[in-house]
Amino acid sequence: MTLDALTQLGPEFMLLIGACIVLIVGATAASQRVQWASPVALVVVLLAILATWRLGVPEGDTSIPGLWLTPLTYYVRWITLGIGALVILANWHQPSESERGEYMAMILFSLLGVLLTASANDLVVLFFTIELVSIPTYVLIALSRQDARAAESSVKYFFLGAMSAAILAYGLSFLYGAAGTTTIQTVGSGLSVAGHVTGAPVSSTALVGWLLIFAGLAFKVAAVPLHVYVADVYEGAASPITGMLGFVPKLAGFIALIKIFAAFDWTLPQSVFWLVWIVAAVTMTVGNTLALIQRNVKRMLAYSSVAHTGYMLVALLVGPVAGEGPMRDGVAALLFYVAIYGTMNLGAFAALTAFKTGQRAVETLDDIAGLAARAPIAALGLAVCAFSLMGFPPTAGFLGKLYVFGSAFSLGESHPFHQAVIALAIIGVINSAIGAAYYLRIVSTIYVRAEDAPAAPASGRPVRWCLAVCSIAMLILFAWPSQLASQARSATVALHATPTRYHAVSEDPDAANDTSPDDFDPGH
Amino acid sequence: MTPETLDTLKLCGIVILLAPLAGAILAGALGPRLLRSHAHWPAILGVGAAFAGAVVIFTQMRGVTEGATTALLPVYDWISIGTNSIFRVEFLIDPLTSVMLLTVTGVSLLVVIYSRDYMREHDHPERGYERFFAFLALFVFSMCALVLGGNFLLLYLGWEAVGLCSYLLIGFYYGRPAAAAAAKKAFLVNRVGDFGFGLGIFLIYLTFGTLEYGAVFELVQQGLTGTGQALSDGRITTIALLLLCGACGKSAQLPLHVWLPDAMEGPSPVSALIHAATMVTAGVYMIARCGAIFTASATAMTVVAVIGSVTALFAATIALTQTDMKRILAYSTISQLGYMVLGVGVYAADSAVFHLFTHAFFKALLFLGAGSVMHAMGGIIDVRQFGGLKRILPWTFRTFVIGSLALAGFPLLSGFFSKDEIIHHALQAHPILGIMGLVTALLTAFYTFRMVFLAFAGPERIPEGVHAHESGKWMLAPLFVLSIGAIGAGYLGVAGKPFHTFLAPVFEHTFTAANPAAHGAAHGAAEAAHPSFWAHYGLMILSGALSIIGIAAAYVLYVQQNWIPGLVKATFPRVHKMFHNKYFVDEIYDAGLVSPARNAGRVCVGLDDYLIDGLVWLATAIPRAFGYLVRTFQSGLLQGYGLSMVAGIAVVVVWVLWA
Repeated sequence: MTLDALTQLGPEFMLLIGACIVLIVGATAASQRVQWASPVALVVVLLAILATWRLGVPEGDTSIPGLWLTPLTYYVRWITLGIGALVILANWHQPSESERGEYMAMILFSLLGVLLTASANDLVVLFFTIELVSIPTYVLIALSRQDARAAESSVKYFFLGAMSAAILAYGLSFLYGAAGTTTIQTVGSGLSVAGHVTGAPVSSTALVGWLLIFAGLAFKVAAVPLHVYVADVYEGAASPITGMLGFVPKLAGFIALIKIFAAFDWTLPQSVFWLVWIVAAVTMTVGNTLALIQRNVKRMLAYSSVAHTGYMLVALLVGPVAGEGPMRDGVAALLFYVAIYGTMNLGAFAALTAFKTGQRAVETLDDIAGLAARAPIAALGLAVCAFSLMGFPPTAGFLGKLYVFGSAFSLGESHPFHQAVIALAIIGVINSAIGAAYYLRIVSTIYVRAEDAPAAPASGRPVRWCLAVCSIAMLILFAWPSQLASQARSATVALHATPTRYHAVSEDPDAANDTSPDDFDPGH
Repeated sequence: MTPETLDTLKLCGIVILLAPLAGAILAGALGPRLLRSHAHWPAILGVGAAFAGAVVIFTQMRGVTEGATTALLPVYDWISIGTNSIFRVEFLIDPLTSVMLLTVTGVSLLVVIYSRDYMREHDHPERGYERFFAFLALFVFSMCALVLGGNFLLLYLGWEAVGLCSYLLIGFYYGRPAAAAAAKKAFLVNRVGDFGFGLGIFLIYLTFGTLEYGAVFELVQQGLTGTGQALSDGRITTIALLLLCGACGKSAQLPLHVWLPDAMEGPSPVSALIHAATMVTAGVYMIARCGAIFTASATAMTVVAVIGSVTALFAATIALTQTDMKRILAYSTISQLGYMVLGVGVYAADSAVFHLFTHAFFKALLFLGAGSVMHAMGGIIDVRQFGGLKRILPWTFRTFVIGSLALAGFPLLSGFFSKDEIIHHALQAHPILGIMGLVTALLTAFYTFRMVFLAFAGPERIPEGVHAHESGKWMLAPLFVLSIGAIGAGYLGVAGKPFHTFLAPVFEHTFTAANPAAHGAAHGAAEAAHPSFWAHYGLMILSGALSIIGIAAAYVLYVQQNWIPGLVKATFPRVHKMFHNKYFVDEIYDAGLVSPARNAGRVCVGLDDYLIDGLVWLATAIPRAFGYLVRTFQSGLLQGYGLSMVAGIAVVVVWVLWA
């Protein structure tokens, strides 16, 4: 490992060193008149963005043990740091002054975790980076406000997160046992899963490993049935940090899932296909129906976050370069969507923060009634983000959904399950329509309903900037999505070195012949 | 065209789009706090820049002497992944685009300038001043996008965006129930048209596999679909009729005309710009642009011509009995749009666009003049409540008369030439439709001057408590400019016909080539070269005479012998009632469509309240019951979550391994 190789990790080192500096700056807070923690954290992230830009796209550099710097790293650096800067803006004034240093440092550590997850090329490194994403979030929730509920949701999240980490580690150890290697790049050949090369099916050990890893990561991305914590945690944490919770663990979880799917060469048994299919369908439906009956906006957005996980799982199931047409890359669609989702979700929570009056947090629909009259610009920002979450033009959310479902529809007939995937996409489209109902309720409550308790909003400027950037970005990305989309597309290049698709590989070759590949019966 | 020309054109296109957009954003964002009573400046400058861009495009297009006069300019790939571009933002610039851009940005600029004074009360900006200018500039952006777009997707986006701006501006005084209802009506009626339009575009995509104008039109002319199969007559007729459905909505043609008169609830500059000069002509523009599609189906062309002529006559009869100046003008707009649609329907697209061009001047002039009257009368616009304003509003009166003469087709003013051409072509194609056009011309002259005489002639009558005064210079200046246009614009279509020559390349392969009347004329080429005096000028003299007769009749009936209208009304009460109530179309729609829909809505609300809520309660009862069940087994929530997670994973592992 040379110094030259280390410079390739410039953004990561900047975040690491920056986080340490922020900790020190924060410790001196009591004696300072100006609070430096938030500005320093923002500068650190901006410097890391600059470093990302200067370094350019890495071309599959493996000179650092355990890491593999690919275009995926580059893409994830951009979206993580970009949205990370917005997260810092949203949290500018959030915790009390004495804790702000720790708070900002934790945000930086969590972002660092995401960046390293994108580069991880080793199962153990992957586990550590995922935990590096998660552990700071437990602290962040507890610090975010001085409230028993925040502490409660932090503890809940911590215990359940610890359990999911244990499940993930257990699964990774199974995979190591089956493959005999921890290097993700070579796990595939270790397993000889590429059935079309060796004809050997996936072993049960590897399969159990896969299932446990999927379960552990399903917790991170908040997929049903491992979503149970979401509403409580979102409700307990302060709004601005909730905006981050919807994006950072989800992104890390999906990157890890992509890596594991790629390690299996996107070739998994039929039963696993149906498992992901069912999880995706149930996640969308449960998320949307539960969101529909909420009166608390934060809980509503929490369940909507579950629903969006379901949409992203559709794209994951499609996989890279399956089918034909320009929208054929499901993984690119997923990466595109997650960036848009992160921005619009953060924007919605930033709007809730901006509406805050004094110390009273804005949470229920009654709290936001008629706010358009009091804060017209913030209301407009929230409306744009809500329309984007709904997937309406002219917002980027529309293009995100178009790409995700388009990737499913462009799956060619050669794919053994293309009908099932299209059916899943149709379920997704129906779910988007259901989702529109509760997002519209937020918008109509702001604009139409009379205000109950008029008062002047008392939030700071940075959170308004965050909201402004998020909502304007949603409009601009609608008009000009090609840059983000083509970056997402090139990020998947390293993930499909071989032509990829789900093969109906079964444990028993005879059993595979029994079932028609186009079978819709989810019992298999 | 040289590469430099293309670059200039592209740059101008971008300026035309971005300048008004920037103006809209600035007026909206800085208006409330910073600019306040200066919020009109971003809009004026933005639209002014767009107008400058349109002028440059026009001069560039005029300078093209050889080669193609059509430029397709890709701006950027909108949705592209890898090297595949799905949809592109691209401009199509040809003489038609150029003329439309000039008309749109020119009238817009004048209207924005006019609005500076109109939207003030005693030099204090009205409530929502900056909102008004932001929407107006946004409208200019949308309309230019509609005109500039090089594919059907951009056309559709622009189409919807102008509809949105129209909705926002009709409902500008949203505190007034009538304005809110009118905005809703415009929105819903347009939705009907746009639904057909959207289906048409979808069908184009399904049939040809592309939405780019050039590619689609070429395939249509070759009679092929996107996959190389033969294009059936039924398919192309369906596409054309669906597109026509959109045109009927946007251009207020029968049977979707009902929204336009109500749209007069918006401020007068909006009526002048959106509901007279520009947006409502989008339908005519679209048919002219899609000439290849329409001319491929003789059936569709006949339908277009019939709808146009019937609408023209129908709306003119309604205008005879209305008393609200703006509504009279609205029906006359519908009628004139009918002429334009008739024009394209009889293969005279260049004449239709010419009428569109002249109409933009004189109708905008009339609406702005009516706005000036309304401003002076403190918001009252019913001609029964005032009269004899000639001396109080001298300049408004003079310009208004010029506009009225042009609208009435008085000889040698702009409306005379353009209308005459359309009637000429209509007579050649379908004599009945031509005669309907002539009758409409007579009625037009009559109702226009009925309005003029009622408002301006006779003894002075003004509503009580109104301090009537002539408008200020910001309002009068646009009136003067438009008057010059109303007088002179028509001369571009005579004496060598520079206007038609300029447009000729656009319609060369569509309307001109497909015109059956032209084929007939080719046989009599010798005769055509030396037409007799009557063949050449007969129609002109006839329509000029009709116009003068109409004006004279209005003078006799409303100035000299003003007891006659009352007598006529008493003699034919049914006819009057039918005209006055607009043939009861609103009532028919209300009884036939709106009420049933509303009742269905009530039923749905009832279902929602009892059935759906009950179902939702049931649906949530199951998880709730499950929750209680789980809770009884668990001492705390957290363990419950953990246990359910582990149990779920265990079930899944067992299922996958042993399934």
